[in-house]
Amino acid sequence: MTNIQSSAVAAETEGPLLPPEPSTPKAKAKPAWRSLNFGPRLWVSAGLIVIIALLAFVGPLFYPFAPDEKVGSLYDGPSAEHILGTENFGYDVLAVLMASTRNSLINGLLAGTLAVVIGVFIGILAGYIGGWLEELLMGMTNIVLAIPSIVILILISISLQSTDIPFLKGIVGLALVIGITSWPWTARAVRAQASSVATREHIDVAKLSGARTGGILIFDVLPYLASYVVMAWVLQLASAILAESTLSMLGLGPSGTNSLGMQLHWALAFQAVATGAWWAFLPPTIVLTLISFALLYLQSSLDEVFNPRLRRGKKKHLAQAAARRAEAAKQLAEQNQRAEVTA
Amino acid sequence: MGLRRYLANKTVWYLGALLVAVVLNFLLPRVIPGNPVDVIVSRMGQGGQSSEAQARVYEQFMREFGLDQPLWSQFVTYVTSAFQGNLGASFSFYPTPVAELIAQSLPYTLVLQLPAIILGWIIGNVLGAVAAYKGGSWDKSVFTTSLLFSSMPYYCLSIILLYTLAVVLGWFPPGGAYSLGMSPEWSWEFFSDALQFWWLPFISLLVINIGGQAVGMRSMAIYELGSDYVNYSRSLGIGDRKMTTYIFNNAMLPQITGLALSIGTMVGGALITELVFSYPGMGSLLFNAIASNDYPVVQAVTLIITVAVLVANYAVEILYGFIDPRIRASKSGEK
Amino acid sequence: MSGILMRASNVTAVYAADTGKDVPAVDNVTLEVPDGQIVGLAGESGCGKSTLGNALAMIANPPLYVVAGKLEISDTEIDLSTLAKGANEVHRGHRGATASLLPQGAMNAISPTLRIRDLVVDVMRAHKRDTTKAEALDRATDRLKMLEMPTRVLDSYSHQLSGGMKQRMVTVISTLLNPQLLIADEPTSALDVSSQKALIEMLLAMVEAKIMRGVIFITHDLPVLSMVTDRLAIMYAGKIVEDGPTEELVNNARHPYTSALLSSVLDPTEETRTKHVLGIPGSPPNLGNPPSGCRFHPRCKFAMPACKLEEPAFLHEGEHEVACWWAMEHLNETVPMEVNQA
Repeated sequence: MTNIQSSAVAAETEGPLLPPEPSTPKAKAKPAWRSLNFGPRLWVSAGLIVIIALLAFVGPLFYPFAPDEKVGSLYDGPSAEHILGTENFGYDVLAVLMASTRNSLINGLLAGTLAVVIGVFIGILAGYIGGWLEELLMGMTNIVLAIPSIVILILISISLQSTDIPFLKGIVGLALVIGITSWPWTARAVRAQASSVATREHIDVAKLSGARTGGILIFDVLPYLASYVVMAWVLQLASAILAESTLSMLGLGPSGTNSLGMQLHWALAFQAVATGAWWAFLPPTIVLTLISFALLYLQSSLDEVFNPRLRRGKKKHLAQAAARRAEAAKQLAEQNQRAEVTA
Repeated sequence: MGLRRYLANKTVWYLGALLVAVVLNFLLPRVIPGNPVDVIVSRMGQGGQSSEAQARVYEQFMREFGLDQPLWSQFVTYVTSAFQGNLGASFSFYPTPVAELIAQSLPYTLVLQLPAIILGWIIGNVLGAVAAYKGGSWDKSVFTTSLLFSSMPYYCLSIILLYTLAVVLGWFPPGGAYSLGMSPEWSWEFFSDALQFWWLPFISLLVINIGGQAVGMRSMAIYELGSDYVNYSRSLGIGDRKMTTYIFNNAMLPQITGLALSIGTMVGGALITELVFSYPGMGSLLFNAIASNDYPVVQAVTLIITVAVLVANYAVEILYGFIDPRIRASKSGEK
Repeated sequence: MSGILMRASNVTAVYAADTGKDVPAVDNVTLEVPDGQIVGLAGESGCGKSTLGNALAMIANPPLYVVAGKLEISDTEIDLSTLAKGANEVHRGHRGATASLLPQGAMNAISPTLRIRDLVVDVMRAHKRDTTKAEALDRATDRLKMLEMPTRVLDSYSHQLSGGMKQRMVTVISTLLNPQLLIADEPTSALDVSSQKALIEMLLAMVEAKIMRGVIFITHDLPVLSMVTDRLAIMYAGKIVEDGPTEELVNNARHPYTSALLSSVLDPTEETRTKHVLGIPGSPPNLGNPPSGCRFHPRCKFAMPACKLEEPAFLHEGEHEVACWWAMEHLNETVPMEVNQA
């Protein structure tokens, strides 16, 4: 979780991922993401995410067992038929795992996207328009930030548990709640970037040619923030998935459905760890860790793509170049010595 | 801005945040659909036989929430009693006052989280700075490991550690805070016994904190490495070690800010860790209270968490004001 | 080497480009600084003057590598190459003490969390480990008093000083160890005119007081150069094309590029109203793939067939030297300056 914070703080101190103003004032500086340079990190993390998504969405199509089909008793060990055994209700663990992963991912997508939309909206407004609106919005944001979100989530969820409105109790309801409470980070960082972009020349040009504020925000400001918004979105996804699992483990998860957090909740409730039924709790733990890691790794590799100052160079090329250089140096040294002798 | 103005600003702001937090803590359980008051009241209103437990709960509610009073008066009652240390009585453990339950669990949580946060911050930042300066394969391995650990939720690491080190290898006890038969007291015997139960939960928090700080510090330090002052100091013949201190001092500032900001999120995950280890801190208290619909306890725990986080944030921000020279020694306009 | 403070020979420095190929930013340059003189280094942006400055100050950092070069200063001979094993440690001892860089942009040169006086102590201790705080501060205060600067600056942080004061303070720190050679990289570029004057006067006073024995003054600001420098070296595309006493160069330019540069400066006289600034057509070459022969030939009005074929050797005319085929054909002739009458 600390990554989101440190990224947000870093974004504020570093300033935006914008190239410096071009020397010819007429030219519009190309947004940073136009000159991309994907590294191995990006492919590794993206690959991992794809694999997990396949497991979640495509797996169930081929797997013979359903997540609510009783196929055994409490914590049957792994067998040839059920590779991961059964969990506390007698359901096939792998089937439940696939369903859980799917639900957790959906929750993450919904909540994360909602949080980013709200955050970007507030951030851009505050950063671009500035003045009292900025003060107001940022004041609000900072207060929401200071109050630990887990507290708000708990207080809201515990009430929603007993509500009569069924839609609020499931995955969608949970995603909604998480999305509404986790936008401040994005808002804060986006505001810093937006207020920087607002001072650029091309914005003045747009204003002078009569473009309306909405249009300016979409066509002239947003493209420059695009790289940051993408990274923020990835982070919000990770954050939302983890928030859901935290709530689920506390017993406040989506009722009636599976999620990675719920699997762990049941595992704890039925003493899976103490009784050594590793197939019940290790798979969801591993999947949860992998998703979280992959998303954060993805974000950091995107950070390197967009922020060249963090790039540290491809090892292979560096070694080759160094060798060539040493060779050139030797030749020059000999040349100069000869020149000195004849001079 | 000058130091005094900074301090005044922060104090006013945190008091405001505290007010908002307390109001929210009070209001949310009352206005969200499905809130406990509605539920209980509607159930009572349906008439019919109500068990003694339910009647008791209902009376508790009326007293606690002062339901016959207008909302604002309820709020005032709530706040004033909270100030006096009266957080109501637990439903499940009636008539045990909530404050007592909290007093029993709070020390366990503090003894886990405080050292984990402080040590984690120090070790993580040093690690990150060194990795940034050394570069090369050292940097790569530190970064990837730190990233792995920092992206892992606390409880995931806890589960893995618990299973491998306690259940499979048996090096540590599999849960609880002290052995059966012992009771909490201020004796050496108790502490040395409790220590072996403390290690695993502490380590799972510590390792992840280190990872998180290292990643953040590394980015900041790498960023600082490209700064003008690094180049200039180098051009004066200043050695690598001294320059690392410069970089560290500068990169640390946003890290302190980051610490303040992340205390809030750390708390959530750390509480779940307690669950995994059946450690009798605030996390377990909260979990049990949620499971048994013990609203006064839930409300009190969330209030305490919020207040603690705000106080911690405030302390860190004040500290920052004293450390950052740009705030401590404001512009004097030397020509 | 009498009367000569320093001689840098055959300096070649390259940048490692992303493509993997090395781009020579400074190509086999030789430069001399006479004792007690200020030598200007001028040229367009990207000609390699700052890179040469970095190479001489021994602070080149990857992706910049000094591949070859020898620095003879006073009685010492230093290998400037950064590729040699242990080069960094050898260079470190000389940085700030033998040759010191006065950086471009002093705005962020001092760490924001460092008090000036602590930096002073660190600088002195870097070269003499047992320097006491008192010794270091005494030296700094003496220097400040001598240069008529307020001594309380030492207790400040960098953000508390104005731009002009920061630049002068950085100048003091760069010369604290009485370096033989001061390399000033665009010191006046970010300053307003009165601060510029103050800084230049300070530099001249310091040379007079023998705090440094020579200065290399890098800038693209030609009017400043003619005020301050005793000698002037003109760089183009990584090579030195002309080098001589300032007055002689200004009045008797022998290289077409020098002449073009000079004519692009506006003189606030009556006649200027009738003149057009001509500028130099074309743009500086890609150093990864420079033109054959003389690098300036694609933009030169006086280009001859020979210019494309072979790099001109240096022609010495007393203290004035020039690398140009045209100059060799027109000995002692000033390059005719084209002045477009409106």
